[in-house]
Formats: sequence, C-alpha cells, structure tokens
Amino acid sequence: MKNVLRNISLYISFIIASIKEMLIYRLDCIVGILSQTLTQVVEIIFIWIVFQNTSNLAGWSYEQILLLYGITLMSISVCSFLFDATYDLGPVFIREGEFDKLLLRPVHPLISVLGSSKDFVSFGYLVIGLIITIMMFTKLAIPITFWLIIKLLFFIIIGGLILGGIETIFSVAAFWTYRSNEVVWTFYRVYTLTQYPIDIYSGFVKILITFILPFAFVAYYPTMDYLGFNKYMIWLSPIVAIIIWIIAIGVWNWALKKYRSTGT
Amino acid sequence: MAIIEAKNLVKEYKTIIKDKGILGYIKHLFKPKYEKFTAVDGINFEINEGELVGYIGENGAGKSTTIKMLTGILTPTSGEVIVNGLVPYKSRIENNKNIGAVFGQKTQLWWDLPVIESFRLIKKMYKIPEGEYRKNLKKFTELLDLEDLLEKQVKNLSLGQKMRCEIAATFLHNPKIVYLDEPTIGLDVLVKENIRRFIKNINKEKNTTVILTTHDVKDIEEVCDRIILIDKGKIIFDGEKQKFKDNYGKNIKAELIVKDKVGNMAEKINSENFTITEESNELIKLKFSHEKTTIMNVMEEISKYCKVLDIHMQESELEDILKEIYKKG
Ligand SMILES: Nc1ncnc2c1ncn2[C@@H]1O[C@H](COP(=O)(O)OP(=O)(O)OP(=O)(O)O)[C@@H](O)[C@H]1O
Ligand SMILES: [Mg+2]
Repeated sequence: MKNVLRNISLYISFIIASIKEMLIYRLDCIVGILSQTLTQVVEIIFIWIVFQNTSNLAGWSYEQILLLYGITLMSISVCSFLFDATYDLGPVFIREGEFDKLLLRPVHPLISVLGSSKDFVSFGYLVIGLIITIMMFTKLAIPITFWLIIKLLFFIIIGGLILGGIETIFSVAAFWTYRSNEVVWTFYRVYTLTQYPIDIYSGFVKILITFILPFAFVAYYPTMDYLGFNKYMIWLSPIVAIIIWIIAIGVWNWALKKYRSTGT
Repeated sequence: MAIIEAKNLVKEYKTIIKDKGILGYIKHLFKPKYEKFTAVDGINFEINEGELVGYIGENGAGKSTTIKMLTGILTPTSGEVIVNGLVPYKSRIENNKNIGAVFGQKTQLWWDLPVIESFRLIKKMYKIPEGEYRKNLKKFTELLDLEDLLEKQVKNLSLGQKMRCEIAATFLHNPKIVYLDEPTIGLDVLVKENIRRFIKNINKEKNTTVILTTHDVKDIEEVCDRIILIDKGKIIFDGEKQKFKDNYGKNIKAELIVKDKVGNMAEKINSENFTITEESNELIKLKFSHEKTTIMNVMEEISKYCKVLDIHMQESELEDILKEIYKKG
C-alpha cells in the first residue's frame, strides 16, 4: 500500500512537471484548445441536425443525448489530461530509445510514461462538456444538488480512469510496433460510439462496449442514473475501473518482460 | 567482495531477415525468418567496490549490450549477473536505487524544464535527504561549473553543458555504481577534462564504482585503473592498465640524435631486431620490440656507422596499442 501511494505521489510530480513543460508552449496550447473546441461544436450541430427529423433516438430525447455527450466529453478530458502519453509509447519512447532511460529509474516505467502526459488541449473539452451538462440539467429540470455535484465529479474521474486503463492496455502494442498510437487510436474510435446511448446499437455492439471494452461504464450508466433510468449500474463503474487497471498493469508487466529479453 | 559479478554472460539478439523486394516483405509477413546474433558471448568478470574500470572495444564489440544487462534493462540470454547482491533484471527497481547511468547523448533530464527542476524530481524519485541533496548540489555546481546553467531549459543547453548537467544528475543520489556509456562523445577537450576530474574526485571521496566505455583513449588513460577489453562479445584482456601496456605495448620507439653519419642507415643495416622509421643527418627514429632485443644492442649496431649523442625512448601509447589490436582483428 505504501508503495502504491508512493507511486501515485511520484506520478503526480511527473504530471506537474509535464504541465510546467506544456505551459512553456503557450501559443500551441491556445491554438490546440480552440481547434478542439471547434470540432466539438461541429459534433453538436450534427446531433442537432439529426433531431430535426426525429423527436427521440431509441427513447432518448435531444436534451438527454446532449447530457450524455457533455458528460462523455468531461471524462475524455480527464483521460487525455492524465494518460495522453499512452499514444507516445511506440512512436516516441520506444522508437527513439527514450524508454531504456525510464528503465533506469527507481520507479515503475508505467508511472514515468503516463506521467509525461501533457495534453492541455483537452481542457477545451472540459469547458464545453461542463457548459453542455449544466445547460441540459437545467433544461431537463434535474435539480443540481450538492450530492449530484459530488457524484458527477466522482464518476467523471472514474470514467477518465476507465478510459485511461483501456488505452494503457492497448498501448502495450508499442512493444511490438512503433505504430502503437494508431492501435490506441482505433480503440478510441470505438469509444466515441458511446457518445450516443448504447440502446441504438445492435446486440453485438452492446455486448462489446459493456463487457469487453466496458465503455458503457464511463458515461452511459452514470447518465442513466442522473436521468433516473437505472439507479444500480452506475455503482459498478468504480469496480470496473479497478479491474481494468489490474488488467492494465498485468498486461504491461508481461509485455515489459518480453521487451527486455528481445532488446528491440 | 565483488560488487559486480558476471558469470558466463551471454546475449543473443534475434534479428529478422527480409528477402529483397515486395515479395520478400510479403513472405516475411507470413513466415518471418530470424537470425541469431551473439552480441555478448560468455563473459566473466568481477569488479570490486571503488574500482574505476574502462570497458573498451571496437564498435559493435558488445559494450553497450553488456552494460544494459548489468543495469537490468536487458535480460541475459544465459549466464548470471549479480550487482550489489541483487540480480538486476529480476529486481530492477531495487537495483536502480543503487546505480546511476549515462547512455551516450540520451538525456535523463526533462527537456523543456530548467535543469534545477529535473534535479528536484530526481531528488524526489530517489528519496534523497534534503541535507545530502543540498550538499551534493553545491559541490557538483562548483566542480562542474553549473552555476549559470541551473535555471536554463535543458533544450537550450549546448552538448557540453548538457553533459555536465547529466553527469551531476547521475551522481546526485550517491549511487554505489555508475555506468557511463560514452559520456565524452562529441565534447571539447576542456569539458572532457572537467568530467574526468569530476569522476575521479567522486570516486575518491565516496568510493563509487565506475564502469566507463569510451572510444577516447585519454578517458581511460586518465580515469581508469583497470581495463577490460572486449572483442566480438568475448573478453580478450582483463587487468590493470599498466599490465595491459606491458602485455601489448612491446613496441618501443626511440629517437637518436647522431653526428658524423655516413650514407643511408636503413640500407646498411638490415636487422630483424629493429626498424628505422625515419632518418636524417642528425636524427634517427626507430622502433623495436622488447622481446627481441634491448636498446643496448640497438645502440651497438647503430654506433658502427655514426656517433650517438643522445637517446630519447618512448613506450607505446595506449592508442597505438589499441590500434594494433583492432587491426589484427
Ligand atoms: N536490439 C538489437 N537487435 C539486434 N542486434 C543488436 C541490437 N543491439 C545491438 N545489436 C548488435 O549487437 C552488437 C553489439 O552491439 P553493442 O551496442 O553492444 O556494441 P558496442 O560495443 O556498444 O558498440 P559501439 O562502440 O558502437 O557503441 C552489434 O553488432 C549490434 O549490431
Ligand atoms: Mg555502445
């Protein structure tokens, strides 16, 4: 336990260092945030167009879908802020030989890799997500109580952790191919499916995003709770997060062992 | 007691062989062919605490591979490594607490941050006590002349400035063992001097064990007491630096100042025991082997044809010795 806490504390130090690094590139930061915000606005317009012809999608109203969307955005933001470096593992760390250097530290290399995440750009997601969420709570006449705020905050972070854990699992592809970022990216695309209620998908996709890649626990079940549709599934989210991370660390250690015996 | 022990250490790399052309690539996709390459081929050594060891050999001899195994980055194919009572590839993180390492031009510092921030992170990572950190920082700043560099971003430093900071970062946590893989590559003479002095200084004060690979013979000449020479993955010499010179440095160079020389000496003397490399009316340069003759015999021969006024003898330099060993292959 002491070891876990120490690793987390080091991870936070690394993240703070990354933030300092990022702040040096102020202009990059601002341009990034603006362009990402713009893509989100386009997506929202897309949802709006879809709803011009129908009043609901698999039983979900326009406002309810946007609420899910806003909460999803915030979890994505947390995930990219904390775990963005999973994309860099292949093309940056392993290809450039940076990874060997991390193996010399008295810290698990996963902490070092994740700790170098510096995706500030996702800050734009957080802001837009927050605005949409608050607007939709108001429109849907859901009272924003203290309890709701706490719950929201907690499950947004849990959602971010689930996403990050899944990304981390797929990032081990980096130990075999430098193009691991593309592997992670592909699964990220699967994730964007869950910006819409999973009710609209076929049985196979439903099973995939609930049990195999448990994306449904990121935002879908929490949103179901806030809307009063399903009050139980949300509480599985933290358990899913823990399981995902146990798997992620296991897979990582296994891949690392392989990597160290081939030396490529 | 040995602090580092390697027993029959072997590392085989598997490399992919691809046939030529697109067809070859497609074939490779379905049925990859591998070729084994033995980079380190059963080496043995023991290194004691406080030793300064030069680990040398030609390009591709297997130096970096050995060091990667000693640090635990790479798992050996077979054989054993024990460092400070630990098996590095099994207890890597535990082992990392006791060691420091520099790999060529790769920096362990945070690229976009001021140097001092990296030092602080290192302090946290290695749990360096505050007092010890301050003491080391002050001392290293002085020895490596870092005063003006600490607040600069790493990416803005020159190669030499970066390496000085890198060396400081490596020694900050008082490692018991330090592996330096080509720390002086690309540096100017003054920075090299500075780094050599630093290594010797710390070794003396803290009894740090240092293993140094380099292609600059002066590094070895000035820093190391012991030489391990590796060739094609096998150790071909292991011992004190002086012994190395005695073993391989059998060639002695001599310069004779002469008078009353008649004609061309090289034509007149056709001795198997020594060779004249250069001559003029006043000066003869020659080379002979310890094993075959002595300077007395050479003199005797020479003075048949001229009067010798002065002699100047020179042992072979490490560099010449290495050149000869590498050439023989
Ligand atoms: N990951 C790898 N896969 C396959 N072969 C490798 C790998 N790393 C090194 N080699 C090969 O192993 C041999 C030893 O390499 P190594 O880097 O240990 O040499 P070195 O003595 O450090 O050389 P240098 O002086 O050039 O740094 C070389 O022939 C090299 O091509
Ligand atoms: Mg090397």
